[in-house]
Amino acid sequence: MKNRIAVVAAALAATVSSAYAQDVVKIGQIEAQTGTLATYGWMGHQGANMAITEINNAGGFKVGNKTYKMELVSPDTRANPQDALIQLKSILEQQKAKYVFGPFLTNVFNGIEPYATQNNGKFLLMGGATAIHAQLGTPNRDYLMRTWNWDAGASGFGQLMVDYLKKQGSKKTAMIFQNDAFTKVAVDIYTPIFKAAGMELQVELFEPGTKDFSAPLAKLAAGKPDYLFPGYTDAVLYDIVRQATETGLFKNFFLVRGSMAPGLKNKDLIDNYIAYLPKYFEQAEKTEPKVREFITKYKAFYKTNDFPYDQAPLCSSSCYDHIYMLVEAMKKAGTVDDVAKVKAALMSITYDGLWKIRYDTTGEAVFDFDVLHMKKGGAITATRVNPK
Amino acid sequence: MGQLIFGQLLNGAIIGTLYGIIALGVTLTFGITGIVNFALGVFMMLGAYAAWYFTDTAGLPYPIAVLCAVGVTALAGLVADQALFRFTRNNLVNGLLVSIGMIAVLEATALLIFTATPKELHRVMPGVIQFMGFVLPKMKLTVFLVLLAVIFGTYAALTRTWIGRAAYAYAQNPEAAELMGVRTARLQTGVVVYSTALAGLGGALYASLYSLEPTLGSLFVLKAVEAAILAGIGSVIGSLFGGVILGVTEGVGSIYLPLAFRDVYGLVFLVAILLFMPAGLFAGRK
Amino acid sequence: MRFQNRFLFFALAVALLALPLGVKSDVVLTILVFSWLQGMLAVSFNLIFGFTGQLTMFHAAAFGIAGYATHLSMQHLGVGYWTGTVLAALFVSVLSIIVGTICFRFRLKEFYFAIVTLAFSEMARLTVLNWNSVTNGTLGINLQEKPWLFGFKVNDTVSWYYLSLVALAVTLLVCSRLVHSWMGRCFSAIRLNDELGDTLGINVFRYKLAAFVAGNFIAAVTGSLYAYYLGSLEPGFLSIDQSLGIVAMVLLGGRSSVFAPVVGAVLLTALPHLIHFSAEVRSIVYGSILILTILVMPQGIYGSIAALLRKRHAS
Repeated sequence: MKNRIAVVAAALAATVSSAYAQDVVKIGQIEAQTGTLATYGWMGHQGANMAITEINNAGGFKVGNKTYKMELVSPDTRANPQDALIQLKSILEQQKAKYVFGPFLTNVFNGIEPYATQNNGKFLLMGGATAIHAQLGTPNRDYLMRTWNWDAGASGFGQLMVDYLKKQGSKKTAMIFQNDAFTKVAVDIYTPIFKAAGMELQVELFEPGTKDFSAPLAKLAAGKPDYLFPGYTDAVLYDIVRQATETGLFKNFFLVRGSMAPGLKNKDLIDNYIAYLPKYFEQAEKTEPKVREFITKYKAFYKTNDFPYDQAPLCSSSCYDHIYMLVEAMKKAGTVDDVAKVKAALMSITYDGLWKIRYDTTGEAVFDFDVLHMKKGGAITATRVNPK
Repeated sequence: MGQLIFGQLLNGAIIGTLYGIIALGVTLTFGITGIVNFALGVFMMLGAYAAWYFTDTAGLPYPIAVLCAVGVTALAGLVADQALFRFTRNNLVNGLLVSIGMIAVLEATALLIFTATPKELHRVMPGVIQFMGFVLPKMKLTVFLVLLAVIFGTYAALTRTWIGRAAYAYAQNPEAAELMGVRTARLQTGVVVYSTALAGLGGALYASLYSLEPTLGSLFVLKAVEAAILAGIGSVIGSLFGGVILGVTEGVGSIYLPLAFRDVYGLVFLVAILLFMPAGLFAGRK
Repeated sequence: MRFQNRFLFFALAVALLALPLGVKSDVVLTILVFSWLQGMLAVSFNLIFGFTGQLTMFHAAAFGIAGYATHLSMQHLGVGYWTGTVLAALFVSVLSIIVGTICFRFRLKEFYFAIVTLAFSEMARLTVLNWNSVTNGTLGINLQEKPWLFGFKVNDTVSWYYLSLVALAVTLLVCSRLVHSWMGRCFSAIRLNDELGDTLGINVFRYKLAAFVAGNFIAAVTGSLYAYYLGSLEPGFLSIDQSLGIVAMVLLGGRSSVFAPVVGAVLLTALPHLIHFSAEVRSIVYGSILILTILVMPQGIYGSIAALLRKRHAS
């Protein structure tokens, strides 16, 4: 008798747990959350974590007549391809996740790419890495999507940005970038765009970790450029903008990534500070109810009064909106398991969240963004741009 | 071009004193305890964030915030010494590993508390001075002068006071010094704490010039170790000049040669010194 | 080796060889492949550090350069993977002879030796990082090819498991032979006191160089295997962190025996995947483990357990 009860109980437990397992959609995320390159991954993790908790707290989401909850599996790659490969294998094999966000770092993507490609068709990988761009749409890469605007191409924002700069009457720009994977591509992208616009471009690269830019700034200033085009991460932006303005070497700045804060901090020494920004949260907070709600929710969720205005734009990549967009695609596809159908649905919709996000034909995200122009004293005009 | 080079000489020298203050800590610690404390980088980071906290959050005037930051770092140094470094005396590799472990622990803690968003102190002393056609921020000059004063002060204290001479005696010949009444354990702890306080000071001053991230110290400590060796380990004034030489090599080197190789110039110089002047540039001078 | 030890060794070998029959998890096998490769790196490092007493920081460079050299020789000389690996290992050996000769001729010791080898290693890294036309710089290189062995393509995790296990076993065998030979006794003499070695008539320079080149040769072979298992190359292979990671493995495992570093390699490779904390907390735990091992078990895990067993045996 006792035995029989045990058997029944075990069977019950098995059915309950398997039913439970079916109702959970696991989302993997492989990003560097610690180390010097952690900014993007850390912010991406914050966004994904928040979106998934929100969805679960609201009771999950319905596909067909079944309700699903979500679970985030988000190990820290530490920017190490070896760890990332093991983690991706664990996410696919042990966690059985079919949707993986990340990575943002090219070296990490290169490390997991062979394994990911072997598993083509079994899952979707939605990351922001520079190296993903070149592989989109190539054979056996159906799993691959890129969650970030690309600078070049028909829907690229680089051309739009340089057009804007040209309207300001700029003739010669000095580019000072950190020597890394994105920069290598960025130089290749922007050199022809500037050339076609009839503008000169000087380039200087520095080692990651540099904090004092006195030497390269003085060297670049000797060529008398009218705009400085500084590196794209906040970690260096603060220092470059400060040192360039303090010494009076540069008064005009042009950025295709980064934030407004470094400009605002030195607003009296700057004539023009032009930046591409996925979203200018400070202003959007006042005009867009969705953004205001997001900021309130973020503060409550992470129990902080400091909303990271500078880094929140990074949320557009690999996280908050993309999780909701994925859910919408699952609903439209009527399945949470059929990766190909979900991908097709993802490619066909335009998600209207904090951003208006859609994917182009290769699987690269295209979203609306702001061109911000700060003039001396800190007055900012924002122009919303919807790429074609 | 002359102006450009002069400017970089001066700027390199200023950055060099920042390398130098950490290098001084490296040199003292190595001389007295026989370990290379790579964790001085995280103490520098601690000092920098403490200075930021005391000014921008607690609202103290910057000079007082710097003193508080130095106090906090020295206290942290004392705890680290009593809990950890005490057990690694004269064991180079273990000391190295323990400091690496500490870097992992403290950097992650800083990341938890301060996040990866760079922190920037409000401008302590805005404005610049023009000097022979080169524009120099006032704050940079102030940092330079403070660091020079501290390094020369340390030198004076080590040569003129009993405790300083005791430290020298110990570095030369531990057994003899002990027989002469030098209390080894106390001396070693004192030196470790003083070194961390120096790193804290370096960090607190750094905070007025650059933006802060949890990893800021790791690059600096490597440069400091280079500077200390360049000068010859054990040389107090040498660590200043070692830092300055490194700063100037990088600054001037960056003008003529590709910037991406900046870190190599110092290293090439270092290897040359070690091969041809193995005791360092300032061997024999203390 | 006593009979008991020999039996233990044999049992371990059989267990490791049979492991993929029972363990089907790709994740576990992948962790083990990386562990064996990191183990080779740690064992070869320990030949220079633990047995000859020279704290080299050139190991990451030897490891990374070999990956690139294998790829480049396959691409430009049209050779196969194994020939490419041998060429890469020879190339690294030549570099090691140059670096080693400079260091040992000038009698650089301890910390100074570490710093100069670190300087050469950094120069190598920055060259790889900035020589875009050859190395593709920061973007790295994707390696499509896989090695062939006895007509089999080493492609799936199980075949890599055996390849890396055999490579590790060969490394252990070679190093253990070396350490227990006349040469090994010279290494020990140099570690303990190299002036004394000199007066005993040992050619200190030659034996230091021999240990340095041998260690780097194995590191080079490891680098080539590692790169082609991972399927990509990046300048990060040559980073300081990589060298420090190797030092940590050796100290954690223990430096007094040939085999001990493997224990450290397995632990440090698996640890990040066993501890499920948030990223920052995990980093804190990792650092604490490192500190505790050094302070509580300065002989490393293997050394401490061996000492414990010996004590028990004696009592």
